[in-house]
Amino acid sequence: MLRVDNASVWYAARDGSPVHALDRVSLDIADGGFVVALGTSGCGKSTLLNAMAGFLPLSSGAITLNGHAVEGPGAERGVVFQKDALLPWKSVVENVALGLKFRGVGRTERRERALELLRLVGLADFADSTPYELSGGMRQRVGIARALAPDPAILLMDEPFGALDSMTREQMQELLVDVWARTGKQIFFITHSIEEALFLGTQLIVMSPRPGRIVARYDPPFVREFAQSHDARAIKTAAAFAELREEVRAVVHRFEPQRSPA
Amino acid sequence: MTDIAVDAPQTAIAAKPKLVRMREFGVGRRPTVAISLATGAAILGGWQAASSAHLAPHLFLPPPAEVYAAAVSVFNDGYANATLWEHVSASLARIFLAFAIAVGLGVPIGLLMGLSRWAKGVFDAPIEFYWPLPPLAYLPLMIIWLGIGEASKITLLALAMFAPIALSAQAGVRSVRQERVNAALSLGATRWQLMREVILPSALPEILTGARISLGVGWGTLVAAELIAATRGIGYLIMSASQFLATDVVFVGIGIIAACAFAFSIAMRTLERVLVPWKGQS
Repeated sequence: MLRVDNASVWYAARDGSPVHALDRVSLDIADGGFVVALGTSGCGKSTLLNAMAGFLPLSSGAITLNGHAVEGPGAERGVVFQKDALLPWKSVVENVALGLKFRGVGRTERRERALELLRLVGLADFADSTPYELSGGMRQRVGIARALAPDPAILLMDEPFGALDSMTREQMQELLVDVWARTGKQIFFITHSIEEALFLGTQLIVMSPRPGRIVARYDPPFVREFAQSHDARAIKTAAAFAELREEVRAVVHRFEPQRSPA
Repeated sequence: MTDIAVDAPQTAIAAKPKLVRMREFGVGRRPTVAISLATGAAILGGWQAASSAHLAPHLFLPPPAEVYAAAVSVFNDGYANATLWEHVSASLARIFLAFAIAVGLGVPIGLLMGLSRWAKGVFDAPIEFYWPLPPLAYLPLMIIWLGIGEASKITLLALAMFAPIALSAQAGVRSVRQERVNAALSLGATRWQLMREVILPSALPEILTGARISLGVGWGTLVAAELIAATRGIGYLIMSASQFLATDVVFVGIGIIAACAFAFSIAMRTLERVLVPWKGQS
């Protein structure tokens, strides 16, 4: 289980003045849990993810994974970036195998395990391509496979589908649910799409900006329904989905940064 | 229901469809080789015309045919007590040795300067101070400190070639994307693995560009280096020919340096294509 306990982050702006990016956020991600953080830009969701990944230290509070304090980046927390961070000088399969290489797994074994993961994300045929030959959606699938390779306890995903076209995006959401259902990983997923947030999370947190804090929590049932039925259209057009979507939309808009009157 | 009509694809395409592409800014990808060849021919023609019209004294501007004859003579019989190959190989050996030293020191020091505040602080001042100096300015110091043997020539060349490599390696490290570093760290990379798998390959395109520039600087400094009591070398060949006012041989020497430098440049570009095929693709 990943536990965020009263996490606050203050960082220095360019002119040196302190910026309150995250304000006493507490959050538990249970084993097998799929937590989605939703919010407008500047609400601290990326700050929270960077702190979980160990890229950013906390000003106060604590983050623990299975009881161990998070004190820096590590292979037990896999990260999928907004824009894929694949290495262009390595083939697709070598990119996926990178975490295994760092761990000292032998060449044949790591290729085999990387190929297995590429099959999981449906890219086995592109194992020996280079990343720049792939489309944006395919690259993100490679990014997911790569993050899964060292068998992390949790996947941290920073708006991974934000740059994709809407049709690819829906395919990727369904693929991610499959991966989640099959591997049973904990997932922490950031998005600013309300629909995506509702469809994906078993737990949904809505964050508000300046300072970033959690303002609402929901437990949408839809991702479990989809894992059963595999009928995304039926779920997204159902009345229950639309109802919750409007409710969440109202919350998000309430905390939108207000324009100062002219 | 809405009708969905799909026309059959136009099977009989006109014999030669007009191929179009987006309008480009600047030169784009249109070839320039023919223009360059024409320019070369024009210069050669102008040279021939100027010398036949006796626009300049013969000593200043020998006609192309005479330079060609001198080239054949140097090629067959050598010049200044050595064959042409002995001159060329002496210069090549100096350039290669100095290049090896410059790469061997410049790449690790440049990488360190990109990674560590201390290394940057220590090396920045001396490199920024000496790098713009013309090698001829510190040539006397090389002679006073290291004598007139090979050591002073190689050191002069290596000093001139070191700075572009170190500075480009440093720039290469700075161009590494933070996301790639974070990705490697979150996959469990140690410092050394991060260095080998991410930072060095990321910096490689810049390092190769620096190496190409440094070889150019090396050829540019060669004549200065071979001013120091040399008995072999293309630079020496030029200097010794100039003392006898053998302008045609000076032209030959210049031509040889140009050809060598050009060959090196092509070799480096080929190396770049082989080593960093992803350059400009991501």
